[in-house]
Amino acid sequence: MLSAIAHTALATVAMAGGGDSSHGLPAGEPFGFQVPIAPVVDEQSFALAAWMIWLPVISAVLCGIYAALGVKSRLPAWTTVAALAGSFVIAAMTVSKLDFAKPVVVHLFDWIDISWSSGSGSAGDQWHGLRANFALYLDGLSAYWILFVTFLGTMIAFYASEYMEEDKGTGYCRFFAGVSIFLFAMTALVLGENLAMLYLGWEGVGLASYLLIGYYYKKPAAVAAAKKAFIMNRIGDLGLALGIYLIWLEYGSLEFGVLFAALQSGASGAGQYDGWAATLIPWCLMLGAFGKSAQFPLYVWLPDAMEGPTPVSALIHAATMVTAGIYLIARTMPFFLMNKASGGHALEAVAWVGGLTALLAATIAMAQYDIKRVMAYSTVSQLGYMFMGLGLATSFGACYHVLTHAFFKALLFLCCGAVMHGFGGQLDLRKLGGIRRVPGWGVVCWTMLIGSLWLSGVPGSAGYFSKDEILAQAFITDGAGFPILGWIGIITAGLTAYYTFRVWFRIFTGPTHFKPDDAHGHDDDHHAHGFHPHAPGLRINLVLAILSLGAIWLAVGYFVGDIWGTQVWIKNAIMHSSAGTGLQLMPAGEHPTLFGFDPHTAMYFVSGTFGLVGLTIAWWLHCANRKSADDLRNWLTARGWIAWLPRAMEHKWYVDEIYIATIRFPLWITSQALYMFDRVFVDGIAVNGTARLPKIAASIFQPLYNGKLQGYATSMAGGLALVIAWIVWVWMRGSV
Amino acid sequence: MIEMSSKLILITPEILLFIGAVVVAVLGLSTHRRIRNAVPWTTVGFLVAAIVATQYVYDGSETVTDADLLFPNLGLYLKVMVGVIAIGLVLLGIGMVDRRYEEAVRDGRTSFDPLRVVRGEYHAFLLLSIAGTMLIANANDLIWLFLAIELSSLPTYVMVALGRGTRRNQEAAIKYFFLGAMSSATFLYGFALLYGASGTLSLTGMQEVFADQAAADGIPLFGLIGMVLAFVGLCFKITAVPMHFYAPDVYQGAPTPVTAFISFMPKVAGFTAIIMLCAALGWSGHHIIDNAGVKVPTEGLPRPVHATLWVIAVLTMILGNIGALLQTSIKRLLAYSSISHSGYLLVGVIAGTAEGIDAVFFYLVTYGVATVAVFGVLCGLQRHGREVETLDDLSGLWKRHPGMAFVLALSAFSMLGLPPLLGFWGKLDLVIAGISAGETPLVVIMMATSAVSAYYYLHLAGLPVIRKPDARTEGVEAGPSAWPRIAAMVFGIGILILPFGARTLMEKAEASTKNSWLEPVETTLNTGDARPEDQTPELPQA
Repeated sequence: MLSAIAHTALATVAMAGGGDSSHGLPAGEPFGFQVPIAPVVDEQSFALAAWMIWLPVISAVLCGIYAALGVKSRLPAWTTVAALAGSFVIAAMTVSKLDFAKPVVVHLFDWIDISWSSGSGSAGDQWHGLRANFALYLDGLSAYWILFVTFLGTMIAFYASEYMEEDKGTGYCRFFAGVSIFLFAMTALVLGENLAMLYLGWEGVGLASYLLIGYYYKKPAAVAAAKKAFIMNRIGDLGLALGIYLIWLEYGSLEFGVLFAALQSGASGAGQYDGWAATLIPWCLMLGAFGKSAQFPLYVWLPDAMEGPTPVSALIHAATMVTAGIYLIARTMPFFLMNKASGGHALEAVAWVGGLTALLAATIAMAQYDIKRVMAYSTVSQLGYMFMGLGLATSFGACYHVLTHAFFKALLFLCCGAVMHGFGGQLDLRKLGGIRRVPGWGVVCWTMLIGSLWLSGVPGSAGYFSKDEILAQAFITDGAGFPILGWIGIITAGLTAYYTFRVWFRIFTGPTHFKPDDAHGHDDDHHAHGFHPHAPGLRINLVLAILSLGAIWLAVGYFVGDIWGTQVWIKNAIMHSSAGTGLQLMPAGEHPTLFGFDPHTAMYFVSGTFGLVGLTIAWWLHCANRKSADDLRNWLTARGWIAWLPRAMEHKWYVDEIYIATIRFPLWITSQALYMFDRVFVDGIAVNGTARLPKIAASIFQPLYNGKLQGYATSMAGGLALVIAWIVWVWMRGSV
Repeated sequence: MIEMSSKLILITPEILLFIGAVVVAVLGLSTHRRIRNAVPWTTVGFLVAAIVATQYVYDGSETVTDADLLFPNLGLYLKVMVGVIAIGLVLLGIGMVDRRYEEAVRDGRTSFDPLRVVRGEYHAFLLLSIAGTMLIANANDLIWLFLAIELSSLPTYVMVALGRGTRRNQEAAIKYFFLGAMSSATFLYGFALLYGASGTLSLTGMQEVFADQAAADGIPLFGLIGMVLAFVGLCFKITAVPMHFYAPDVYQGAPTPVTAFISFMPKVAGFTAIIMLCAALGWSGHHIIDNAGVKVPTEGLPRPVHATLWVIAVLTMILGNIGALLQTSIKRLLAYSSISHSGYLLVGVIAGTAEGIDAVFFYLVTYGVATVAVFGVLCGLQRHGREVETLDDLSGLWKRHPGMAFVLALSAFSMLGLPPLLGFWGKLDLVIAGISAGETPLVVIMMATSAVSAYYYLHLAGLPVIRKPDARTEGVEAGPSAWPRIAAMVFGIGILILPFGARTLMEKAEASTKNSWLEPVETTLNTGDARPEDQTPELPQA
């Protein structure tokens, strides 16, 4: 019944949002945009928009000043919350004025504008240029992204004002300065009018993430995690930088307006390097996206990043920053379509990497005991779904899932953070239980239940709708093995429901027991003898309540048709942006079917069933019959032919160990060899040897170089004489 | 009459600085310590007044465009740039001049004797030198050019000698003075030959004469030799080969604020003068004889002059960067670094188009900002009451003064040309100008040598962080006055923030060559499109 309603709503939406429900390929112009995309420069009616980007900057500077002044109050928190809330309000006002069919460019100031000729010196020189203004590009995609980024930023900063209370003083200022820098960079990334600004923001969020993961800089694990995140991201960033360079090489511009116009007219670029550059562009961009959004093979940094404070995990490593990769591919979707049109496989690669990462991360999440790590692997897995959506050419599904995931995952992380904060840093789900009955934990318990339901994708939740949008598409779009990919996604959905509820049942149900984390207990006498959990305060509970209301609205809004309906609005926003072009890849006319139904209809039953089965197994093993989980594990490990499975899952499929053996160790050997080479040859012979040349020369010309005035004067006169002799000689040759 | 008064209006900033020089010279002799302490701030006040006056004088009116100058708008950019950076240079000297004597007077160990203080003189000479540098921008004939260069140089000789007491200091002053006199003689002789070859002293007149000569039979040998003599003489000001020998000794021997001053101000003076001379002599169309013996017209500097400058630039870049590699004294290292920067700047001069000149003027700003920052760090620190001298003295600076170590690293990276710092944009502009003018080999050499420079700049940036101080080197502490450190901080932040306004700064640098002979087309367009209100009857000329 429910799914029937949902399907009716979807059909209505497809009519209302898409304009035409069959996104067939127009003949002759396969990947043209449906709407004119040339941006309008409008600085009058969008004058306020600049403050979206400046308010976080101001807040970061103020937090720095507070740190210098030694402020010990909550001032940094309130400054940040006020600035981010201001940013959100302005974003909402800006978006309400925006017509998605007409992208707007708001020019802030001239940034880079250089040009040069090819340098033959003749009049026919060709001029090359690079222009990147500091300007905002407002269209459906950036409007959509900036709204939830600033909203969640505000909420999580508010939550952190209580969560970080113990660090009041310099640490408190440092934390909020970091959050403000992050929001500035994220705003630049999302709103940037050109790829240079996107890159600035991209590096900026990487920096902020590094600073905040390493927030507890006295803890070696946190420092190591920060470095790991930074280095893994560098690999991806290299891809992005190369991609941007190739785009500039091919199309001579970095501005989205110019690029989209060129792609719209079907230009495939300047054809540098025998056309290889155009083929490589999407692959390079993909590498960048996989690094930032933690996809295989670059995902290993994200689980370690949980060493940072939990609000950071919620904001940066679950809700916003890690979706930058999705944003990048959605923004540059025309390049991927160009690749597909010329027979490339970039989009299929995106889909497959996403789908396999989703499965891999879900299996790891099933066997972890640290609840934040379970959530981290779950994030990797859900991001995999989003990439799958992009690769399956449903940018709408991918972007929709970004939004729902941002809400419920931020909610889940903040609940984990509240538990960790209240129970002495304890994150091991074996050492916590029955918290539901501890006084003061009601809000956390029930909001986390909502988050878990939404993540598991049980029928009727927001995650259910957004995930199904992607999964159904696997059975519609043509591509290499996409139906298999669809089944991988469906199985992953079942696993997701299992590991999510494993956490919830273990922590909140059963007999009440808890003890503080060992490390935490040793630090703190108060905790070591007679530990008392402290329940979350008003601010934490308030934020949890607001986020769960938001998550509920996302589910309810699915059935609403007008502007308040999440479906219509989002579909409108995405469809009219550069990401919307992907929808045209859907085959026109009849969809392929699944079990004799339209895949969308069938998916409501299939994925719903898998989700409920996973949930039931979790209930059986971790709530109804708690001992059976251990029995099952013992049974598995006792049998040689299957014992490897639980072990490999607990050890994260040994990916870290494989990286150390295959990459880190050879690199270390190489670096030692190069170091020796550098010491002996470069420093020893080349640099120091060359640098000694003047001294050797000095010993030859000793009389001139002894620091005596006469010596210098003679040298100068000699140099002058040489120059004059040269001029006279040239003159005598008569070539003046 | 009109011409005279318009010229006087154009040099209002210099007149203000001259008045300022007289005022601070007198104030410096006051028996009240408070008034003596106000001397640097009075100097800063006059500099600000000069900057403001510049903005009013160069309002784009006919006073400027009709002044018969090669670059009518150059003054606006040059005077503001020199003024702003000079404010930083003044701040570096606060608390340094007369320091021991003032302490003795304050503690009552000795009574005040006006004959023993030099603070007034120091600031007066500083203002006079700046006025000389600014005057170069207004030069319209060779006499003016020569006098302006001398006005900017002579006070610096005395300033080097002001840190009296040490033998090395006196030696530096003597060397600087004698070799400077020799260079003046060289370019003065060159000026004389140029006058002989062209028959006029006016720079614009000379430009026409040489253009005619080049179009007819080519510039006579005397003209070429004069040109080259003038360039080589000016190489002393910009510390370029073959006149660079003095730089390490003098930089090391001079008091640190003075070192900062002489590593920036004479360089601006020298490059402005060189560009004026190039404009008067070259770039106007010449003939070369090709292999078939046919005369072919060509653009750019006469070939021998071009080749001379090319060799000078290459040698300067190579010798400067290699010389710096093994230095242990920071000031000697910076002296060699300053030599290599002159080499880079010469690339812009050789490129020679409006683009190249703009790049030179923009690079001078980036170099000046980094110079003030790095010398601000050196002036703001001391070790056992003495100046910081060797690289080892900086060990452990990161622990004691992280701010100063940060600024030092920033300015070193900026001088190295690391993106996205200010120095990168300066170098990028030079490279683009060089490539666009077809000087690719020169640009390649520039890039290669500046890669070599990474060795010593990274040393400068990294030593304060990496090396731990041992018993011999520890003891770096804050200097007596906070102002040099404040100047270092402000200019260091400038290195970080100015790149966001790099476009605006470059446009200002580009404006300095507007309305000059480099773009004659625009002038004709303007006259053809005269607005009605411009058609007022002309005043009868006197």
